[in-house]
Amino acid sequence: MDNIITIDKYDFHDVALEYKEQGYDFLRCLTGMDWGEDGLGAVYHLENTLTQENVVLKTKTTELSDPILLSVCDIWKGAEFYEREIFDYFGIRFLGHPDMRRLFLREDWVGHPLRKDYDFSLNPLRMTNEVTADMTQNIEVLKDGSVIKKREVLFDEDEYVINIGPQHPATHGVLRFRVSLEGETIKKLDVHCGYIHRGIEKMCESLTYPQTLALSDRLDYLAAHHNRHALCMCIEKAMGIEVSERVQYIRTIMDELQRIDSHLLFYSCACMDLGALTAFFYGFRDREKILDIFEATTGGRLIQNYYTIGGLQADIAPDFVQKVKEFITYMRPTLKEYHDVFTGNVIMQGRTKGVGVLSKEDAVSFGATGGTGRASGWACDVRKRHPYAVYDIVQFDEILYTEGDCFSRYMVRMKEIEQSLNIIEQLIDNIPDGEIQVKMKPIIKVPEGSYYAAVEGSRGEFGVYLESRGDKFPYRLKFRSSGLPLVAAMDTLCRDAKIADLIAIGATVDYVVPDIDR
Amino acid sequence: MFDFGIITSWIHEFLTSYLPLGLATFLECVLVGVCIILLYVVIAVIMIYMERKVCAAFQCRLGPNRVGPWGTIQLICDMIKMLTKEIISVRKSDKFLYNLAPFIVILASVMAFSCLPFGRGMSVLDFNVGVFFLMASSSIGVVGILLAGWGSNNKYSLIGAMRSGAQMISYELSASLSLLTIIVLTDTMQFSEIVMRQQDGWFIFKGHIPAVIAFVVYLIAGNAEVNRGPFDLPEAESELTAGYHTEYSGMHFGLFYVAEFVNLFIIAGVATTIFLGGWMPLHVSGLDGFNHIMDLIPGFIWFFGKAFFVVWLLMWMKWTFPRLRIDQILTLEWRYLIPISLVNLLVMVIVVVFKLHF
Amino acid sequence: MERNRSYLGKLFHGISTLLTGFKVTGREFFTRKVTEEYPDNRDTLQISPRFRGRLSMPDPQKCIACGLCQINCPNDTIKVVSQIITDEETGKKRKVLVSYDYDLGACMFCQLCVNACPHDAICFTTEFENAVYDREHLKLTLNK
Repeated sequence: MDNIITIDKYDFHDVALEYKEQGYDFLRCLTGMDWGEDGLGAVYHLENTLTQENVVLKTKTTELSDPILLSVCDIWKGAEFYEREIFDYFGIRFLGHPDMRRLFLREDWVGHPLRKDYDFSLNPLRMTNEVTADMTQNIEVLKDGSVIKKREVLFDEDEYVINIGPQHPATHGVLRFRVSLEGETIKKLDVHCGYIHRGIEKMCESLTYPQTLALSDRLDYLAAHHNRHALCMCIEKAMGIEVSERVQYIRTIMDELQRIDSHLLFYSCACMDLGALTAFFYGFRDREKILDIFEATTGGRLIQNYYTIGGLQADIAPDFVQKVKEFITYMRPTLKEYHDVFTGNVIMQGRTKGVGVLSKEDAVSFGATGGTGRASGWACDVRKRHPYAVYDIVQFDEILYTEGDCFSRYMVRMKEIEQSLNIIEQLIDNIPDGEIQVKMKPIIKVPEGSYYAAVEGSRGEFGVYLESRGDKFPYRLKFRSSGLPLVAAMDTLCRDAKIADLIAIGATVDYVVPDIDR
Repeated sequence: MFDFGIITSWIHEFLTSYLPLGLATFLECVLVGVCIILLYVVIAVIMIYMERKVCAAFQCRLGPNRVGPWGTIQLICDMIKMLTKEIISVRKSDKFLYNLAPFIVILASVMAFSCLPFGRGMSVLDFNVGVFFLMASSSIGVVGILLAGWGSNNKYSLIGAMRSGAQMISYELSASLSLLTIIVLTDTMQFSEIVMRQQDGWFIFKGHIPAVIAFVVYLIAGNAEVNRGPFDLPEAESELTAGYHTEYSGMHFGLFYVAEFVNLFIIAGVATTIFLGGWMPLHVSGLDGFNHIMDLIPGFIWFFGKAFFVVWLLMWMKWTFPRLRIDQILTLEWRYLIPISLVNLLVMVIVVVFKLHF
Repeated sequence: MERNRSYLGKLFHGISTLLTGFKVTGREFFTRKVTEEYPDNRDTLQISPRFRGRLSMPDPQKCIACGLCQINCPNDTIKVVSQIITDEETGKKRKVLVSYDYDLGACMFCQLCVNACPHDAICFTTEFENAVYDREHLKLTLNK
């Protein structure tokens, strides 16, 4: 159970700034909360990137009709999107936030759905188009302490604005960018999320714990195992369940296979986005082998549905070990082929080197974890920072680059495939015997409190924040998406790049939309 | 070698013996026009089928194989689909230019296509500045693409059209320069004459190093001129959805599509004619028996064989490389290809002056 | 280092990388193709026995109509209709299954129902060709 420091809402900005100055420069997770009678608020998970110390802050307001908190997006850039999300879900306005729009829901949505008093009947299925607003509003504090609402223009009328998405071959799903162009150069980029928003966090509040697991696979479908691992770990941590060695080993192997799977898909899609359609098929051809391994054990190819609270759905398939070994011996030379056909190519290098540079400070400030952060030189691997499962006993290198450009983001992932192969190789022969499922009560209840658990997903830290009131349903379940900070950084990354660079940046940042929208 | 000119002159005599000269010429024009357009369509269909199969093979796939044997009927189905689809007109577009654009593109393509000598005596347009005419007529296509981009009133289309304008006009230069390199060697611009001069050896062998360089430069520049990958920026589907033809549907799109493939064939055909001896069989001096066997194969088979081989090379290129960025495309052209072709032209002049060629 | 490369050095480096690419695709041109010719290879198609195609009830006698599967389903996919009958011989009251309604269209294959079933009456089969023309056809009654 996390130790939460409560801070008065008027002091919050100053206290946050103090923490930042002490070295807590990474905002891991920002969760909006509705504590019912106790008011609305937010929970901030901070981490010191040097010492890996964590601190959890919380602030709240009892004003329910027009709740206002202080924005921290000048301290952590990543907070900008989180605060918009909280505004969307809870209606909390943040003072000093430059762009207080809804993030996921439609502009004409009535009410704020994650509030406990939200009325479902207010929002019937709308059959009209959503009008894209070119204006945004923010709240500013004047010197005398009074508050004014200001409207600001996002795009001028004479700007050449084009839509990339929601239906666009290069956005990997239904993400939409509005891009202001000058010739081929990008002047401004505005992200519109929410086209695949399903309200999973809201749904989870009315599901039992085993039922919530079924939804976790559907967040980032290329990190289905990771997502479920995080959720299982969080619940197990809360209930104090120790899973057996065997389960830990299998989970680790599965996680790494999933990572290879995701990175192969990343490779394929990066190739396709840059126009090398043939290399795309090579990646998919080899990914198929992993999916076959998954299918034999878990019964699923995309939706794995494998980990359960306290164990696994089933033991590994009889030929699992042999198949995985075959795959490892096949994959190593194939990786060289990938590098030959695409990585070394002079066109590809010209298109990615020095393009879309994200500095280390920005990466930390946005909370852009995963390959994106490591390409900027930020050692942000959860497997190293907070080892879980059996990552503390395996040898592997954290791949770090310092350039922070598209090429290093690409190379981090390609090298991680090799590291994942190493990890699997160390574990695959030594899977110990043991129970695959801890005996659970028929109805799982989590003790009261709030808990946070994180794993290294395919594209960054995937965290689960769970607040329980001791029921069989979670009171609030927040998924710290690995993709949201990445798209939050898109505007910074794309400024003054070419429109073709936007595609290269989007491909190498490697966001997955269902994970962003949830 | 069989001379196709015998047949054409026989038809000419046959017609003039019954009809006045003017009418006979008119009938011949119609006949030739119909033949050329039929050939055009057939080549387009073959090219599309070949593209699918070749790209599938590079990508470890089988390609179309469901409709008909080896998927051959698939193309007919696609054609029927294309012909019967509704032509959507876009609101607020410039209707006239929007509808005109595909026809300009196809016109340029057909005009360039008719310059190709398919066999001995088997050419439609054959006169003393044939190479010039071909270059000129094929560059009309860029107008059509620009009009398509402008007329569709779509931002993607406009960006695509602008890109293609910059790209096609730039690459025209190095394509022409590399053709000029060979013209220095031949001192003629007439296609039939160029082919005849290669009787004792193809120019790629006769002109050795500068000819090979010119051949490679021509393939790259030609590929860029017809907007095919890795130079397919004007349509760059991952950036601009479909570039200049985003808003076109049905047969309007079909015309762009067909023109793109036949343009590819034209590039290959020109490369064949200029560098690989056109319909001229492979002759090795000294081996008379071998040469005689080679002569038995009809000229047009030689021509199509070589042309499709070059097409296969271009497809290999397309399906291997990632797409370039607009500044890279211009860098490649202005910093590498043009200086190389200029130097190459100079080398060729030296070779010719000092009789260093074979 | 790369920045200091001469004009010609860059040119030849570029050409060599492109030729490497040609080599790889050229080799793949002749390798065995991996296309699965799906409807033709139905006989040889291998599906993992654990694959979750659709829910089925091989032996309806096993079901005791306890309704645990219905409770565990996150999507309200399952509806167990039961009635209480009195056994004439022993006089005991017993719940029996009348109809086990399953909506394949709403199922998300989470396996919670199978996990919950105390008598292993339901299981997933590997039948995967589930496409139909009408949503109504997805509403199945498993005990018939």
